[in-house]
Amino acid sequence: MSAPRTRDAAAFRVADQLVGKEPWEVFGERIRRFEIHLNGDAIEMTRGPVALEGYDIRVFRPADGNLGVGSQASNDFTADGIRGALQDAERSARYASFPTGKLELPSGRGSTGGIVEVLDRNLWEYPMDSLESYVSALRAAFEGKPGFALSFGSVRATLVETSICNSFGLHTGYGHTQVELEVGVKSSGGPEGPPAGEYWFNDSDRRLRPDEIGKRVEEWCRFAEDVRRGRPAPTGEMPVVLPPGVLAGILPIVCGGRLTGSARLRGVAVQPGMKLASDLVTLHDDGRIPWAPMSSPVDDEGVPQRRRLLLDHGAISEILYDTLHAGAFDTHSTGSGFRGVSSGFRTWYRFLQPPTVSPSTIALTPGDGGTDAELVEAAHDGVWIQEIGWSSPDPVSGAFGGEIRLGYRIRDGELAEPIRGGTVGGVVFAPEGAPSLMNRLQAVGSTASFFEPVSTPPVLVGSLTIGGEH
Amino acid sequence: MGELTDAEGDVYHALARLAQRTPFVEVLAEAGTGLSVRYNGHSTTFQSPPRIRGAVFRAWTGAGWTEVSVSGLDLPTLRFAEAAIERVLTHRPAREAPPGDSSTARIEKATETPHSMRDMAEAEMRELARDAYSWVAGMPDIHETDVQISWRLDERLYLNSAAARCSQSICRVRGVVMPVAMESGRAESDRFIQGGVGGREILDGLTQEGAKRAGEGARALLRARAPPYGRLNVLLSPSVTGYFAHESFGHGAEADQFVRDRSYLRPLLGQILGPEVLTIVDNGAYPGAWSQIYCDDEGHPGQRTVLVDKGRFIGALHDRATAAALGATPTGNTRRSDVFSRSFVRMTNTYIEPGESTLDELVKEAHDGVLLESGVGGIEDPQGGQVQLKARMGHLIENGRVTDLVSSMALSGKVLEFLHSIRGVSGKEDFTLDTGSCGKGRTDFLPNSAGGPYLLSSAVVGRA
Repeated sequence: MSAPRTRDAAAFRVADQLVGKEPWEVFGERIRRFEIHLNGDAIEMTRGPVALEGYDIRVFRPADGNLGVGSQASNDFTADGIRGALQDAERSARYASFPTGKLELPSGRGSTGGIVEVLDRNLWEYPMDSLESYVSALRAAFEGKPGFALSFGSVRATLVETSICNSFGLHTGYGHTQVELEVGVKSSGGPEGPPAGEYWFNDSDRRLRPDEIGKRVEEWCRFAEDVRRGRPAPTGEMPVVLPPGVLAGILPIVCGGRLTGSARLRGVAVQPGMKLASDLVTLHDDGRIPWAPMSSPVDDEGVPQRRRLLLDHGAISEILYDTLHAGAFDTHSTGSGFRGVSSGFRTWYRFLQPPTVSPSTIALTPGDGGTDAELVEAAHDGVWIQEIGWSSPDPVSGAFGGEIRLGYRIRDGELAEPIRGGTVGGVVFAPEGAPSLMNRLQAVGSTASFFEPVSTPPVLVGSLTIGGEH
Repeated sequence: MGELTDAEGDVYHALARLAQRTPFVEVLAEAGTGLSVRYNGHSTTFQSPPRIRGAVFRAWTGAGWTEVSVSGLDLPTLRFAEAAIERVLTHRPAREAPPGDSSTARIEKATETPHSMRDMAEAEMRELARDAYSWVAGMPDIHETDVQISWRLDERLYLNSAAARCSQSICRVRGVVMPVAMESGRAESDRFIQGGVGGREILDGLTQEGAKRAGEGARALLRARAPPYGRLNVLLSPSVTGYFAHESFGHGAEADQFVRDRSYLRPLLGQILGPEVLTIVDNGAYPGAWSQIYCDDEGHPGQRTVLVDKGRFIGALHDRATAAALGATPTGNTRRSDVFSRSFVRMTNTYIEPGESTLDELVKEAHDGVLLESGVGGIEDPQGGQVQLKARMGHLIENGRVTDLVSSMALSGKVLEFLHSIRGVSGKEDFTLDTGSCGKGRTDFLPNSAGGPYLLSSAVVGRA
């Protein structure tokens, strides 16, 4: 695969067959995927190319003052195949109903989104070579580290040419890359003491970062050793510090459940102006952060992405819309129509699923809480949660929580021994006055870092429930 | 095998040509159809599964496996896959066969049902969804209800150079009613789910009584107390018992974790880990269960594999590679999410078999503790032997009686300690299997089922 092409892109080849079927939209993808899987530090399997090219046709038909929206995905580009997909979409539209008579698809005129850095050029040109180099560097980083080893791992690269067009005149496309890294690092320790511990790391990125391997391996080894040495958590209500990796598992799902047009339509959204969090919380949805997994020049309906203010000092400012929900409330799409987003993760092939309203990257504005050490000092006596097994946020109730896979006791304002096991949990958002993670925020760190679909500093929560052994 | 019949000849010939270049090559072709409808009182959405056909070729290079996946079964696309595999084999020619047993099975099976879902038209599905909505919509505090009715027919054809031919067509049907109750800005939900492998008859279980029960559950949660926290006696309801079997034992018994020296269970094979009342099974051949398979994606038949027999850990789940490495036989647990994803050792229907206690006896035995109900999920820790489970709700157990409702909570603990602490398992009248999905790590999700009866042990719980 060479540079991104659009002339023969998937969506445009289908669009030619849809004349006279307006209004319609086609989302297409041409995908090449490459993978290397490790068993220990040995290469277990190479995969690729996984070659997948397909499209999704959406049609919009009037239905008693509403819209009947039908869609059908397919990888059959023959005239018969496209006709069959269109017929399926039309049939679905006949029985479907969405409460809007207004349809405002992007036309491609005006702002087109511009350039957002989402394509790793070297990876695009040399995918398998790039992965092999990365894996070699990863294995080399463990040399000279007795007691530490890779227990398994995989690195998977997806190269995608996305194309979108519609009957309103939109005709756009862009290339992007996605990298998924999964690594298990084991600390064996010596013949004495506790058995081996493993730190399990998952990350999603837009590019390979071989220059960061050394630093990452150092950190993973330290965490693996701390998992090995971890002792049971205490029990009680206490101050808790949550770093970006933990917030990444919580915020996108809960924001998607409450701060979107679909939640408003269902009547479970919160109203603009309503106070939902401490004054320390200013939250944006930002689809243009370079290299973020959810960033792109346009959303999956072709609407330019941009930065939206969700919470302004704890009060709701905007909520997110795709084109359909925008129509239902007589407003405009916020560029938040995304395909393939489920439970906070995004699949590497998106054309198989129709768009839904979803946040892009959730960005918490840094506060004056200072460094990690200053947050720990402010907590004084509590817990730093490094990793939750699965925080399983409930998009309806906003409850979150799970097992502490790795944490640290905070004693006298300093990090003390590692802890492992026990539970931490609570509710993310609650109306003013009710206890919640966001209402009980006492400090927001001063430096944000980026972890998957979240850009945030660590935060200090005044009190959360820890379920432990003692 | 309607969706794949026309392509079988071309797929076979591509395989046969590649078989001249390597001692072993296999191909899995896939196609699917189906329909889902979703209704929430505001909108009705229909979605057909993608009209996707594709195949994955896997060849042995002498030192490992190489795979190529393509989305299409037309001749040019198959030639593309063939050429890509050939390029690898040219650089890495294999002389010897891969380790393990190559399937030689000849299987042709399809879901048997008196009422095929193909006969259920869009209008009928929509009416059923609207009926289910109406059962709950008028209940006090119920703010919205989301109903989903869906079916998917998954067709897979497996061929290999050892002459195996396995053709299976599996129809999974599911109905979900999810009422949401709201009061003073607080929102809570519950679910009523009916599903399995079969046809229209599965949806007969989507009853008004069950939907209303979910509505009452959501309403009650609005007034539920916060759960207790700390180490307690825990009584797991059937769905939570299932998650325990799946997360704690099932993942640790996937033998690829043994080969990676990543399972706390490996050195314990043959040992007694729990009481005699404890038997844990993975059963891909369970008729009608959500994760029933006729054969796995290496052509080995789905089967019943006992992991723990009366407290003794006796078995693991294998693909051909792990079986070869550990001197075992494949157990029919090699599964791919789809032809674009790699295979792993995966569970199918994993459960704890019924014991002999009654629920009342277990509550009395607990005396004080908490009953965890409506399982939400969990996560494994094969290396560390920990487990996390989450329940949407529960009840306190006080003085041998079930008392107040409590809101969602998580359970955390060391699996071996939990097993040794088991004090009873209820009987077959309580046994249920759910309809879920499971990933390997964070990806590769596929249909999975777990279940069991009530089970009493002790663990740490806390708000979640």
